[in-house]
Amino acid sequence: MPAAWPDKDDSELLALVQDGSHPAFAALVERHTDRFYRLAFRYLQNRQAAEDVVQDAFLKLWEDPAKWQPDKNSRFTTWFYRVVVNLCLDWQKRKRPMELSEGMTLIDDRESADQMMLRREQQRILEQEIAALPERQRTALNLCFDEGISNQEAAEVMGINLKALQSLLMRAKTTLKERLKSYL
Amino acid sequence: MSQNDEDKLTAMLRSRRTEAARPDLAARIILRAQGMPQVQNYSLWQSLRQLFAELHLPKPGYVLTTALVLGMFLGFSTAPQTAASTDSDSNYAESFLADAEGLL
Repeated sequence: MPAAWPDKDDSELLALVQDGSHPAFAALVERHTDRFYRLAFRYLQNRQAAEDVVQDAFLKLWEDPAKWQPDKNSRFTTWFYRVVVNLCLDWQKRKRPMELSEGMTLIDDRESADQMMLRREQQRILEQEIAALPERQRTALNLCFDEGISNQEAAEVMGINLKALQSLLMRAKTTLKERLKSYL
Repeated sequence: MSQNDEDKLTAMLRSRRTEAARPDLAARIILRAQGMPQVQNYSLWQSLRQLFAELHLPKPGYVLTTALVLGMFLGFSTAPQTAASTDSDSNYAESFLADAEGLL
């Protein structure tokens, strides 16, 4: 497998992918798999499902790379976040909520067993409450608390303006504060 | 809601953990793509080029086809003029016959 071609940006790699270049596609996958997997996991809370969604998204891109058009779509990552979010939402519509993955590690070496149990419970309730939020509030939350994505980019991914995004975030947080009262 | 709650919630949201993907996820995606064809989106011009590339007619074939198309085009474009001249010829013939009848 070739190195990740650091000298080429995403749009240059995509131009090569559109000409059928496997090495360019490989570079793009290696560069972005982790961040899109992280987002998918936040939606689906299941490793296998998140991996399937990311694989599906990249394979769709490989099959028809012309779907991304640099003049129409802003940055590749902004557009691809949208693709991944849509696939996650589709996946959730098809399959009902899943349990947290068994292997999900919340362990901090300095924590006692009780603290660890409490944190695990908090985490479970938090994920449960996030999953119960309306779709757009959940998307706003998942995008904005994912490291490396600005509020402006999150708004672009959702096709709304910054104010609307902030309003969605505020409503989501208000609901969560209400529902997580006993844990705050 | 107090600022304290807000801060605690933000901290909770920031500390959401993700289970790491299996390390070969990227490799698996790349491998799957290697066995998949890409969708070809041709423009009209590219489709025509593709068609001609596949037809592989010998040059005389193109010459003959061009001549036929040109012939048909010229034929259609000159047809009304011919029809018009036929009309004037028949008018002339009718007037000639009428004159001849008059003489008789």
